[in-house]
Amino acid sequence: MSLCVLEDVRKTYVLGDVRVDVLRGVSLTIEPGEFTAVMGPSGSGKTTLMNILGCLDVPSQGRYILAGKDVTHMSDDELSRMRSEHIGFVFQSFHLLPYATALENVLLPTLYLERRLDGRRKRAMELLALVGLQDRAGFKPSQLSGGQQQRVAIARALMNAPGLILADEPTGALDSATAKDIMNLLTDLNAQGTTVVVVTHDPEVAAYAQRIVRVRDGVVVEDSQAASAAEERPVHDDAVLA
Amino acid sequence: MMMRFWLKCADAWRAVRAYRLRAVFCSVSVALGVGAITIIVAATEGAYKQAYDMVDRFGPDAMLIFGESEEARATGRREKNITVEDVEALRQAFPTAYLVVPMSSRGDMIVAYGNRKHQTRLTGTTADYSRSWSWPVTEGRDLTEQDVKGLRNVALIGRTIVQELFPDEDPIGKSIFVRNLAVQVVGVLEERGSTGPGHNLDDRIVMPITTAMKKILNEKDRVQAVRMRFVDATRMEHFEAEVRAFMRKRHGLQEGQPDDFRIVSPREIVKFLVALTGSLVIFIGITGLLSLVVAGFVLANLFLLSVNERIPEIGIRRSVGARRSDILVQFLTEAVTLTALGGVLGFGIGVSGGPLLKNVAEFPMHFSWKAFAAGMIMATLVGVVFGLQPARKAAAVHPIEAVRKGS
Repeated sequence: MSLCVLEDVRKTYVLGDVRVDVLRGVSLTIEPGEFTAVMGPSGSGKTTLMNILGCLDVPSQGRYILAGKDVTHMSDDELSRMRSEHIGFVFQSFHLLPYATALENVLLPTLYLERRLDGRRKRAMELLALVGLQDRAGFKPSQLSGGQQQRVAIARALMNAPGLILADEPTGALDSATAKDIMNLLTDLNAQGTTVVVVTHDPEVAAYAQRIVRVRDGVVVEDSQAASAAEERPVHDDAVLA
Repeated sequence: MMMRFWLKCADAWRAVRAYRLRAVFCSVSVALGVGAITIIVAATEGAYKQAYDMVDRFGPDAMLIFGESEEARATGRREKNITVEDVEALRQAFPTAYLVVPMSSRGDMIVAYGNRKHQTRLTGTTADYSRSWSWPVTEGRDLTEQDVKGLRNVALIGRTIVQELFPDEDPIGKSIFVRNLAVQVVGVLEERGSTGPGHNLDDRIVMPITTAMKKILNEKDRVQAVRMRFVDATRMEHFEAEVRAFMRKRHGLQEGQPDDFRIVSPREIVKFLVALTGSLVIFIGITGLLSLVVAGFVLANLFLLSVNERIPEIGIRRSVGARRSDILVQFLTEAVTLTALGGVLGFGIGVSGGPLLKNVAEFPMHFSWKAFAAGMIMATLVGVVFGLQPARKAAAVHPIEAVRKGS
């Protein structure tokens, strides 16, 4: 079963008298385990596409099926539940709670999870260890570097064991060396079976993906398997996973 | 489920602590209002408690008939409209009264022992003083029928007189001067304390009414008051009406003429004290409610600011799966946590400020769980009512905008 199925998705915003067609018929299927980059210049509709993929928004027309469930006409509460169960977000500016520690930030998604999650603290510590921050659990975001903050955000995205990690310009606020670390981390997670979608305008970031979807003016203009990308990938530091 | 509830409380507590200035302003402003509410409840309870204590001392089955009209009392004119015959007639007419005791009393009475002098109040009464006032004689003996009939020069004295005249002597059997009359102390009354400023119950000397009237007060047949005790305390209102009708008839009062006597019953004591408390309760009550409303607006404004400032946080929470109701509950929990904190603080303010008020106004205060509960309920109410609008605003923030705002 495909993880995400978009069928002729259209999104129209009405701003006063002006109708803006942001997405004009996007059809896309994402299989479990894929590493996909959605690329496009600003205003291309890639952010709206990500919002719809992440259940933050719903299509005006067409259908979106996530994990076998038709999301198109879901209520706000049902969408929240889909996000809670199936989506892990990673944002450009990390989006951590400033007053909570790294561990508390990682634990945040469990507050809103409807199913039971036993050993949540233990799992959160394991995830912090996975991103290499086991000794920073008690630190506040302001005491962490940008790269460390983004690692905490990734651990948080993994907390509820979602099927899909959605990363919106995950390296946009990082220097290039740190950006490489973060992309390597995402690649490793993908190698362990997590489906990853990265939204970016940066070809270097997109180069990590196996598949590149180019969006322009609200339509998909190119959908290619970048088989060579894996080979071109820079050698990464294995310590990340240690 | 319970577990998650506590986790969410811990989550709200983190936010409360993170925004300290907001926390301090909100809880302190609530605390002031709750402090006032606490004092009101304590004062009301204190007044009732004191009223019932007084009724208890007065005797719930007792009534006091003064021989002066309301008017005379109001203008300070001395009147003595009850005669010795009235007392006898009352005794015969009311077999339901197990005690009918006349009394005459006068302040400014100088008593002396050796070279010690003290000014006190003299009360003349019949035998069985201690029974009619439920006031035990702790040393010596009570006044007897023989004392009254024989116009004997004997007296019971209160604790204050013992302290003033007999600081290190046993007063029983000693002879003291009441004005110019030599009187033997036969008994000491149990300590009673005071009922209010300048009203020390223990500062008194009690003598046979016959002796007091004839030898000290120069009074032939008028008594100041009659005290009656009835066997059935539940029918005091009924007895009061009957005694009033009886006395009016005896004194030949026409319809429309005011009473030339005054009846004091337990009911009136309660009414008087509650009225006294009432004015203060209303004053503090209005102040307290006003300050709670102000506290509420402070809270609402600070929370609206806080919601605007924390839109990115709302975005984060929404993106990890929080529903609108989760956000609503979160902000409400924060608001109620702060006001509840203010409630506890306010109770502290009330408890420490209450005694101050007691010193200034001689005001009875009684702090109990009721005062605490009332304060906490008010505080919680302020949190919910004034926290609701900001919380709804927070819940209404669209996740997309919230997420974008954080970038």
